[in-house]
Amino acid sequence: MNEPISPVDALEALLFVSDSPQPLASLARAMDLTEGQTEQALELLEERMNERGSLTLMKIAGGYQLATKPFFSDLIANFLRPQRQKLRRNLLEVLAVVAYRQPVTVGDIEKVRGVQSDHVVRTLVERRLLRECGRKKAPGRPFLYATTQEFLHQFGLKSLDDLPPIDRESSQGALFGHEPAEVD
Amino acid sequence: MSRSSLLTKQVESDWKVSGLGLIAPPPITIESPHFSGSLATLFEVVQAHKVDLRDVPLLPICEAYFRYLAEQPEVTVDEAAAALCALCFLLERKAWLLLPSPEPEPEELLAFEFDPTALGELEVAIAALEIWHEERSNLHFRSVQVEQEVELDFGGVSISDLARAFEELLAKAEPEPMESLAADRRSIHDQIRTVREALTRAWATLPSLVQGQFTRTEAVWWFLALLEMIRQRIAKVRLVEGEPQFALI
Repeated sequence: MNEPISPVDALEALLFVSDSPQPLASLARAMDLTEGQTEQALELLEERMNERGSLTLMKIAGGYQLATKPFFSDLIANFLRPQRQKLRRNLLEVLAVVAYRQPVTVGDIEKVRGVQSDHVVRTLVERRLLRECGRKKAPGRPFLYATTQEFLHQFGLKSLDDLPPIDRESSQGALFGHEPAEVD
Repeated sequence: MSRSSLLTKQVESDWKVSGLGLIAPPPITIESPHFSGSLATLFEVVQAHKVDLRDVPLLPICEAYFRYLAEQPEVTVDEAAAALCALCFLLERKAWLLLPSPEPEPEELLAFEFDPTALGELEVAIAALEIWHEERSNLHFRSVQVEQEVELDFGGVSISDLARAFEELLAKAEPEPMESLAADRRSIHDQIRTVREALTRAWATLPSLVQGQFTRTEAVWWFLALLEMIRQRIAKVRLVEGEPQFALI
């Protein structure tokens, strides 16, 4: 008779073979469990991984994924030599504007930053941190930009709700000073 | 004339030994805003990195060379070969100089509108993003597998059919202006935007999509953008009476 599979082991196996964050619903479906049961199993798996081993369970970009513990960072960096670039201030500024105000046009970004930003936006689109998400219903129908799942992943965020809160009510600036863009 | 007498003549006329050897190229004179002098001198100063070859148009020099070949009553093969060597060297050097290099980040000019309070509201967020990005760099995830060769859906249209459409477009292209060689900087992403404005859900041939006058470079950009759009499944292609037609999906 076959041994019943432990949900925790099953989760570990599924996450081990995943190369992108797996949503709770997708894991629950794969194991034929409810989302509640899956969440409990994920908590147990997290505890087990924190106690021993080199891997950790990350809740990132709207899903779950295994990562190596920071302790092994230097070792892995020496081994894989990943090409990770530090983001310059101008890129971070644009990402912050888009993250809070999306969807936005390049014009909206420039109004906040005070400098032309089309090149920076293009760079961020090429790096898959921003995406075109439509056109604004306005003269010229400018492109609207939003952040991507890759943005959440690159910054280790579960969702945009993880961003530091800004009081929209008391905001006087261009950040929240006008209505959200009407998408065409 | 024997080879030894030729060499004697060269030495007698006080020709310098250059990178081209004892035989100097014929006296082809170059007049441009950034360089005036003979072909031999240009060859030497370019070798010594004393002149930026991007500022010196090579077409008039090539034309002068052909004129020399056509007009001289007696062309010395050695001189002509020396000139050809010098020209090949210059053309190769200039070709390398004109290869696309990473686009430098342009200076961020002031925007038309600016609300100085807005960026201040984001300082906390910008600082947080910087820290999180740094922290995230200490975590390593299973790498995304490199996508296998993308299966392109050309709807039964062969590469030869596409090449024929491209050739037809190239045949209608205008000659390339000289100055565009150094200045052309754009991305497929930009070109896709242009193509999307012309392409609709109605089927159209490639030459009918490209309106007005266009250069061969623009024809290449159009073709590459269409291929990329097919790869991204934004556009599709079909064959009607041997001619590829394109449409938005």
